[in-house]
Amino acid sequence: MKNPARQPRQPRIRYVTPRLQGSMMLAFAAIIAIGGAIFWERVDSAFRRVFLHAAMRGHYAFDSAYDVVRDLLALHLAGLFVGVFLASSVLALLLVAATRHGIGKAVDSLRASANRDLSTPTGSSPIREFDRFGENIDAARADTLASVLTIRSKAAALAAGEISPEEFRLRWDELKQRIRRIAP
Amino acid sequence: MSGPGAAGNSPLIHRGYVFGLLLRLCLTFAGGVGILSVILYFALSRPFPGDYAGVFHALRNLSPFLRPILAVSVLVYALLACGSTSALCVYILHKVAGPLYRMERVLNQYRSGAPTRTVSFRNDDQIQPLAHAFNLWIGSLRRDRRRWLAMMMDAERHCLQDEATCRAEMEEALRKIAGDMARYR
Repeated sequence: MKNPARQPRQPRIRYVTPRLQGSMMLAFAAIIAIGGAIFWERVDSAFRRVFLHAAMRGHYAFDSAYDVVRDLLALHLAGLFVGVFLASSVLALLLVAATRHGIGKAVDSLRASANRDLSTPTGSSPIREFDRFGENIDAARADTLASVLTIRSKAAALAAGEISPEEFRLRWDELKQRIRRIAP
Repeated sequence: MSGPGAAGNSPLIHRGYVFGLLLRLCLTFAGGVGILSVILYFALSRPFPGDYAGVFHALRNLSPFLRPILAVSVLVYALLACGSTSALCVYILHKVAGPLYRMERVLNQYRSGAPTRTVSFRNDDQIQPLAHAFNLWIGSLRRDRRRWLAMMMDAERHCLQDEATCRAEMEEALRKIAGDMARYR
């Protein structure tokens, strides 16, 4: 008998949907890169202006360049943090809203399926991954509906048809097998 | 609560998950900006030369000298922030992407005709109502299937009597099943 405690634990794979997780990573990276570029451009031009102004002013009452630009740098760093955080928060909230919308439609579609509505489409979502998932659900529902409709037409034909008892029994058993294959 | 009813009515994305995501983003960016400020502090805090002319020339020439330092420090910030945000993205989105991936596998399994087990997500996973809705659908299909098979088996019991009664009962059962299936659209 195998001891389950001795079995090596499989590493849990977290990067499962590159299209969703990867695209969000790229979007956050773009925000950070844009924020960094704006910070660099603004701080560089501000430093040039401030250091030139400080050199021309005289009365050098500071020990290092940091003393000259301390407040300015703090302001720009705060701006970088707030800008990047706000933009990322908006992106995160948009993702949450899109998830609620896309998965919500899939849930509604499955609940409708439980009420025997297998043909109303799940509908599209702003995120391709959820759209694809909705299509998968629709395909599963369509397969089920096709199977039910086939069984229904065969049952109706068998109930109405004037066929021999042997043939009837054969088709009856075949129909039973088909019904057993629904949601196995 | 973790009962099936509670799972069905629970929100798709919990508020705590959203707050956790925003808090982690906040900490990540705060850490990045902190590292950037430390780098810039060390780059800018070198003392000026003591004499007046030395300070003047240092201030005049500081901007071109600082330009590459600024660029490298912003690059370090961007790399660190991107790395930690990517890790955060993978970890946080796994709570949505993981269940979605599992559901896709179950759907593929269902479509291939293999036996489908009840879907359940981990406790800390999001989109729990999806599993509940899927189980509800499969449950309703299985109830219908059992009812149809029960009707057929009930009709088969009449075959112990004469052939005509058996055939009539079977045809009646088939009509009922076809009528029942007409509710599917």
